[in-house]
Amino acid sequence: MPREIYAYKCRKCGHTHYPYRMVCKDCGQNEHNEFEPVPLPKTGKLLTFTTLYSLPPDFEVPSLGLAIVALAGGITVTGQHRIDEPVIGMAVRGEVEIVRRDGYDEHYGMVFYKA
Amino acid sequence: MRDVYVIGIGITSFTRLEYPLSEIAAYPAMMAMKDAGTRAIDHLYVANMGGGRINHQTGLASAVVDTLSLTPAGAETIENGPASGGSAVKTGYMAVASGLHDTVMVTGAERMREVNNLEATDFVATLTHPLAEHIYGVTLPSLAAMFTRLYMEKYGVTERHLAMVAVKNQNAALLNEFAHLQQKISIEGILDSPEAMTNNPYVAVARKVDRPLVKLAGVGQATDTHAVHEREDPTDLLAVRRAAAMAFERAGLVPADVDVAELHDAFTILEIVESEECGFFPKGEGHLALERGETALGGKLPINVSGGLKGRGHPVGATGVAQVYEIVHQLRGEAGERQVEGARVGFTCNFGGFGNNVVCLAFEREN
Repeated sequence: MPREIYAYKCRKCGHTHYPYRMVCKDCGQNEHNEFEPVPLPKTGKLLTFTTLYSLPPDFEVPSLGLAIVALAGGITVTGQHRIDEPVIGMAVRGEVEIVRRDGYDEHYGMVFYKA
Repeated sequence: MRDVYVIGIGITSFTRLEYPLSEIAAYPAMMAMKDAGTRAIDHLYVANMGGGRINHQTGLASAVVDTLSLTPAGAETIENGPASGGSAVKTGYMAVASGLHDTVMVTGAERMREVNNLEATDFVATLTHPLAEHIYGVTLPSLAAMFTRLYMEKYGVTERHLAMVAVKNQNAALLNEFAHLQQKISIEGILDSPEAMTNNPYVAVARKVDRPLVKLAGVGQATDTHAVHEREDPTDLLAVRRAAAMAFERAGLVPADVDVAELHDAFTILEIVESEECGFFPKGEGHLALERGETALGGKLPINVSGGLKGRGHPVGATGVAQVYEIVHQLRGEAGERQVEGARVGFTCNFGGFGNNVVCLAFEREN
């Protein structure tokens, strides 16, 4: 089964959140576990980006591309990008990959490429 | 609610201080008590963000209240990210306004040079959303960079405008003997200058008094989504707008009343954007007011004449208290070479996280 990053759809009003939250921001439903996990869409539009050179100590790369992407369907996410010449508004596609290694832990997240 | 006044202030240099964190917090408190002419403190609030994480010291307020020999007065450490200082002042305000205490002390301190720049940035990055931001390597400077790119695209702000803010504030710091940076810079020379990392101090004492002084006239605070991407418009600093409006409403003042402001320029773009969201200039026109010189000393609304976070320094948890020091100093007319002539109303904006927790305070000189 491919790894996925999930958004959370309120079972009461249908509002989809990313990241997870305990209470729906839209309808305020206050029951435990009332969200349905929905895999994040994999296509979207580059909203903004940067290249980070002053990295947290556990990253063993000289620089890191970071981006905020508006995904198809209306969810916006933060992720890494591997795009040589990024431009605001360009179409991108996302993959779920290891984005950070922290001791023995591997963290999966969204990595964006040119569509 | 009772009226609340700031009756004493103190500050020490924003530089690498070699003494312990508790003493960094205590020293300006001693100065503030001297300034106020009282040691009758009912309660102590200490603003700090990094003690537990970078200085291996928790429960900081207990150490500070004891070294000041103020026991058995109550004491609390206030941690609210980079808005800890504003939150601590607001908490002190609440204590006096409610009648719970008559005189309280608020001090702020940080000892960031305990660790190197990378570790300090990593510590501040723990403010970000653990799963949706932090795992990607997101730091506060990277959020600011993405925000700035979008803002420039949308409102025509240029790198030159950002340099103008940096030059204005860093050169203002030359008139502030307590500022961290004491080096003149030019627009041409700075487009890739590094951010400052500092130790610091500050303090205010507040209580109800009869004599007309500097009144903390209104407090406002608002929050926004933890993850920046979740905001409907990521260039909209909604929490700043709401906190500022609340502070003005409670103070019975409007933005046009303000004579001097300290805004949270942790990143230079933020001074421009906050000057809009606080209501001083229309949205998207802050950089134009900057161009016209309105926000410089001698302009219509001088902003960050202390040097701001850029020039004075940004010891995260202490910054909000330092902003209050500057405003009170200005409203008393004691600011010397950097005095804003006839300043009667002052304003502070202390910005936590990347705009997810903001405290604004409005001050008014009564006589």
